[in-house]
Amino acid sequence: MNWLPNIFRRRALYNDLAEEMRLHLEERTEQLMREGMSRKEAEQAARRAFGNRTVMEERSREVWQWPTLESIWADVRYAVRQLKNSPGFSITVIMSLTLGLGANTTIFTFVNALLLRPPAVAATARLVEVMERNPKSSGIEAYMPFSYPGYVNLRDHNHTLSGFAAFDGDPRTVSWSHDGQGQMVYGQLVSSNFFSVLGVEPSFGRFFQANEDQSGPGAPTAVISHSFWQRQLGSDRSVIGHALVFNGASYTVVGVAPPSFTGILIGSRPDFWTTLAMTPTLIHDPDRMGSDTSYWLFSIGRLKQGVSKNDAQADLSVLTRSIHSSDPHEAIMDASAFPVQLVPSPFRGYVAAFTGLLMAAVGLVLLIACANAANLVLARAIARRRELAVRSALGASRFRIIRQALTESLMLAMMGGAGGLLLAYWSIPALLSLKPATIPVSIEAPLDWRVFSFAFVASILTGLVFGLGAALRSTRRDLLPALKDERQLAGPRRSRLRGSIVIAQITVCLVLLISAGLCVQSLFNARSIDPGFSTHDIAIAHLDPGSLGYTEAQDRQFYLQLLERVRALPGVNAASLSDYLPLGTSRTVHGIHIEGFSPPPELDGIHVQVAYVAPDFFNTMGITVLNGREFSSQDIQSGAGKVVVNQAMATHFWPGRNPIGQHFKDGKESVEIVGVVKTGKYRSLGEDPLDFMYLPLGAQSQEFLVVRTGAGEEAALGEIRGVIQSLDPNVVPMEMESISQYMALPLFAAHTTGVLLAIFGSVALLLATIGLSGVVSYSVSQRTNEIGVRMALGADRLDVVKLILKQGMLLTGIGILCGLVLSFAATRVLSGLLYGIKPGDPATFAAISLFLAAVALVSCYLPARRAASIDPMKSLRTE
Amino acid sequence: MTNSAPRDLFPGALEMMILESLRRQPAHGYALVQHIQQRSNNLLQVEEGSLYPALQRLLKARLVKAEWGVSATNRRVRTYQITAAGLRHLEEQISSFEQMFEGIALVLNPGKSTAN
Repeated sequence: MNWLPNIFRRRALYNDLAEEMRLHLEERTEQLMREGMSRKEAEQAARRAFGNRTVMEERSREVWQWPTLESIWADVRYAVRQLKNSPGFSITVIMSLTLGLGANTTIFTFVNALLLRPPAVAATARLVEVMERNPKSSGIEAYMPFSYPGYVNLRDHNHTLSGFAAFDGDPRTVSWSHDGQGQMVYGQLVSSNFFSVLGVEPSFGRFFQANEDQSGPGAPTAVISHSFWQRQLGSDRSVIGHALVFNGASYTVVGVAPPSFTGILIGSRPDFWTTLAMTPTLIHDPDRMGSDTSYWLFSIGRLKQGVSKNDAQADLSVLTRSIHSSDPHEAIMDASAFPVQLVPSPFRGYVAAFTGLLMAAVGLVLLIACANAANLVLARAIARRRELAVRSALGASRFRIIRQALTESLMLAMMGGAGGLLLAYWSIPALLSLKPATIPVSIEAPLDWRVFSFAFVASILTGLVFGLGAALRSTRRDLLPALKDERQLAGPRRSRLRGSIVIAQITVCLVLLISAGLCVQSLFNARSIDPGFSTHDIAIAHLDPGSLGYTEAQDRQFYLQLLERVRALPGVNAASLSDYLPLGTSRTVHGIHIEGFSPPPELDGIHVQVAYVAPDFFNTMGITVLNGREFSSQDIQSGAGKVVVNQAMATHFWPGRNPIGQHFKDGKESVEIVGVVKTGKYRSLGEDPLDFMYLPLGAQSQEFLVVRTGAGEEAALGEIRGVIQSLDPNVVPMEMESISQYMALPLFAAHTTGVLLAIFGSVALLLATIGLSGVVSYSVSQRTNEIGVRMALGADRLDVVKLILKQGMLLTGIGILCGLVLSFAATRVLSGLLYGIKPGDPATFAAISLFLAAVALVSCYLPARRAASIDPMKSLRTE
Repeated sequence: MTNSAPRDLFPGALEMMILESLRRQPAHGYALVQHIQQRSNNLLQVEEGSLYPALQRLLKARLVKAEWGVSATNRRVRTYQITAAGLRHLEEQISSFEQMFEGIALVLNPGKSTAN
């Protein structure tokens, strides 16, 4: 490559050249003068013989130039001038593209955040995520985290991993006591080799030492996250060696994690890490570590040198099977190894399907934006016919003109892309706020280099798509008519191209609008689904005083006092406790035995989901008691087996009989039905009626406090917080929310799709309307003469309006027909997301089509009215 | 056809003639023009200026090198000299040109080819 020195040498080269040519002419002139010419004659003759000096110099210079780059730069400067000269056109195109590219960039940012971004750990390629797998199951159900004994077995006996680490998959809400107060923070339990297997180095201090997780709760240690250290500890480097009190226990800070490391799973951003040895203290579950039926540990291994992922999987599968085979009741499990990613492999399919749907929707929006841009560029190419014809006549090649046109399109697209990035920058926080604040998950969606590359490539492709067609089209013509006359050239072929672009826009727009319509209706349907409990005027607090080391008696005392004081608050109508809320994420199932019904052979009873509730729970939650009664305090104190069943369970097992007073066996214990409540929704809003039963709630450390209030949920939440503080300032509610906030979680998917598709649908509608009215306006301006003649011959205004509307509505009609056909196919994809509405819902299809037609009619009417106001005399005079 | 003196015969022809002239002796632009015109008995009417783009191409490809100096007639001139690479290039060009020329001649004069 010798272009680099050439750049610096160029000026010298050019000077040499000019000097050399001047000397040449001088020498020739002198020669001619010697042959007897006058100086003037000689100079002229010398110049004639030399040829066009400027051209020669130009051609000589070109030899040294970086040809494409410099002439592209010339193209760019020309394009900037052109675009500056027609700001209206440029702004419209850039705005269209900004909307289209912005929507794409935004959604891509989320795809990147969820699926593409690797975790911030060293040499990810050598890491594998390991899960237990039931080979007989399929999909997400087949995969499970490890129990602690299961993990230890693999850690100690595998032959393929140089290190095998585990971490608790759930972010643990922990009360951090400081300055006499409790504050909610997130902690994660990890094996002591967690950081070393991941290859993360501490910001300062140290990470856990080997076997620190087996030493038992002697001297608890913690590593804190960099952001916790900055936010909460004021970046104080002397924190190492100091103690922090989490859930009542004192932890010595040994190190601070690097700023980039926020954990290995998407969504969880622990404030501190401690070793698995602290499990009993931190999560108040003494049996957790010994249990081989609690599956809670995610695990990550680092492959030994020369070992592949498949080797490791085979090795670990054999080990996993060997522990399970000793237990005949267990389904045979093996192990699966995946690459380490922020979203674990088994769940990626679901995330990909959801984000894929959104990508498809924004892809369609971009298509419409492209069509708009193409239409505008075509219209402008026609307006610039003369300029282009002059340039071709002066010798510009077709390729040169196409390249110039493409440069303009690409510049527009790049500006649209830059606008799109800005749009994404603003809209991402707004979209993140769609996530219910109460979900203890934080998602980072940074605009990193992948997002920038995406925006860049998408802009280039967009520019090519809308520019190339128009460029080719506008250069394919005879010069002469263009140079001679402007008006007559708007032939039918060009308007046919623009017409089909508009048809395509209407088609795509209808598909988007119908999808949006279905999702929005589905959202309303989901909102109006009766979950079986009241969805307003209820405040919820999730508490766990046990994490502070409360004994059972202390727990009981705490909750009794809490209920008493909360019930005394102004505006509070009822208050109760339970270990479960319907539509929550946890689930307890009991095996029951009922006379006359035999359980499925592989199970130890008929499985029914169960919740433990305190007296007045149904009243507080607004769950209708259809028959019998609620639990009384006696039921709870006596411990005598009473049960409340839902109606689905009652009709399932005691059809046509009064279920009150019936007995059945809950496990080994006999229970008596004292009440029947209305069937609600327990796992998801879309579920079919499920059997469900309630048992009296004894003393338990983790409970939900539910409060029905007439004084407003927010006010009640504040007062409840005050009551909890007054009882024990170190008890921090894990969640405090109103019932409507609580309901945001089950509605999340429906809500997000509904809102996003509604936004994209509106953008699509706006763009398609601009496109349609642009085409109709243009055709009005082209047909001014024709309309003038018609009016002169007796057509009245109405005829003219009809004429123009007919053209616009014909395009709309064809577009809508195509759109309906496409929608039938496209909306199938949505079926999994829709509540109470079929993908091919005829009412939605009809209503949206009519709506689109009406909007199209309005957007055609404006130009039509302008056409009708044409003065025939004036328009004919200009001829 | 009214214009019987095309500016350039085919791409590269001018470069070849320049290299051939320089192989005999280094020269500056004006001298090169004179030389080519004389050698071709003025059959090739080259626009004098078109020499310079060709010279720049040769310079860039490092087939010639240039130096400012003073001529025998005491003029300030930029003298071009053929390089080793230029010599190699010239030989290749000449042989391929001769082949081409022979081929064209054979096609244009089929009679002669059989006589050979």
